Amino acid sequence: MKLTRRLTLVAFGAALAATTAMPAFAANLIAIITPSHDNPFFKAEAVGAEKKAKELGYETLVLVHDDDGNKQSQLIDTAIGRGAKAIILDNAGSEVSIAAVQKAKDAGVPSFLIDREINATGVAVSQIVSNNYQGAQLGAEEFVKLMGEKGNYVELLGREADLNAGIRSKGYHDVIDDYPQMKMVSQQSANWSQTEGYSKMETILQANPNIQGVIAGNDTMAMGAIAALQAAGRKDVIVVGFDGSNDVRDSILSGGIKATVMQPAYAQAQLAVEQAHAFITTGKKPADEKRLMDCILINAANAKKLETFALSQ
Amino acid sequence: MLQMRAAAVFFALCAAMTGCKFVKTADQQAQAAAQAFDPDRLVSGSWESKVLPYLKERAGSFEEVTALIASNPDAAAQKFGHKERGGTAPWTYAATVKGRIVTAETQSRAAYVEVDINGDGKPDLRVAIGPAIRGTALRDSLGFVNFNEFKNQIDWAQYGKSFNTYVNANVLERLPRDGLVGKRLDALGAFPQPSSGELPQFVPVTITVGG
Repeated sequence: MKLTRRLTLVAFGAALAATTAMPAFAANLIAIITPSHDNPFFKAEAVGAEKKAKELGYETLVLVHDDDGNKQSQLIDTAIGRGAKAIILDNAGSEVSIAAVQKAKDAGVPSFLIDREINATGVAVSQIVSNNYQGAQLGAEEFVKLMGEKGNYVELLGREADLNAGIRSKGYHDVIDDYPQMKMVSQQSANWSQTEGYSKMETILQANPNIQGVIAGNDTMAMGAIAALQAAGRKDVIVVGFDGSNDVRDSILSGGIKATVMQPAYAQAQLAVEQAHAFITTGKKPADEKRLMDCILINAANAKKLETFALSQ
Repeated sequence: MLQMRAAAVFFALCAAMTGCKFVKTADQQAQAAAQAFDPDRLVSGSWESKVLPYLKERAGSFEEVTALIASNPDAAAQKFGHKERGGTAPWTYAATVKGRIVTAETQSRAAYVEVDINGDGKPDLRVAIGPAIRGTALRDSLGFVNFNEFKNQIDWAQYGKSFNTYVNANVLERLPRDGLVGKRLDALGAFPQPSSGELPQFVPVTITVGG
């Protein structure tokens, strides 16, 4: 009696575990995991990957980790549990993600990284890396040129926990600090956010009315900054962003923001899915694990050709 | 019994201890420093032995390189060019330049001279003379360096920057800044595929100006 009861319990438990772990086991599934879609850049990645995966006959599981390493780890478990054939991942941190990608590998699920790299090789099958540093150098060179190599400027940083915030800032200063007459009067984080970009810019402007330029770690903060500057009647201040969003394209075309750099979010996500498909069907890996995707400067000269993180020819 | 157990524990501890090795902190630090990424040393250590020989061997005259880019871009890339495999960076070509300086911009920190090669009096390319050098043409022209051997894009970028720092300190700083226009210029270096309508942006590794 006691034994049978225990057995039924075990059976029930196993059935329960099975259903929670595999609510819908798909034979041909690709998981697409990125940061929050609030930022159009990550949305473009997810859309690009999903479209390509469907074209190639896969089902997709689109998830967001919100830059939270723990959440990312759970999502990887979900992907493994659902029997994903591959994971397309824009990861939640160059160190914290190594274990998560390794876990997927150990479970037989290959990962294809896009945008951000991890500080380890041989764990993911491929890493298609946005060259944020090169992009930042490009943006900074344009910024310095627009400023006439001198003047007071403000830097708006991204969220501190995000590696790319640091990479972009480093790339900016790598260039700007070669010009001794460029003086940074304020450097603050606006956490990638447009509303924070606006409020930070308002406050900074009160304390430092004598500024000639603002360089922002991404486009949403640049959009916030230009709105605050325009509200204060400061149309003379040069603003440069980063990402190449359609919002900033429109601002450039109407004489607001002066420049940004575009990362090919859509194209690199599609490339990762193609690599995953080749690996699933033929077992072939790309020749090199890591490849760098360079950024392209966007200004009044080519802004017209920009649409959803891609330049038309 | 208790004594025996204590002895056994002690013995186990001793056995465990033999797995340890004492390392002086100072040695550890020295070792870490030796292994730490030092892009300036990587560049200066390979400049004479690898960088200059590679570019000398690879370079064609500027006329030859640009003519081949125009007529057969693939052949030009094969013969004079390099780019990171799989990456989206443009090709960067090795070339020698012989011409006359027609304009000089020395007020900018990213100073340059424009050089006429074919004698029509119009500039055919722009040669960076520092101290600030845009881009990473030198790193990108070299076939023996590979992004995949670097930890991440930060190290890779700093390595690129170190080429510019090195060439500025050892080659470009000695150049005169005045009366450049009209002088002859001889240089070996590299330039990335120019955007349409723009002059090639050439970064030298050796340069002489005079006459």
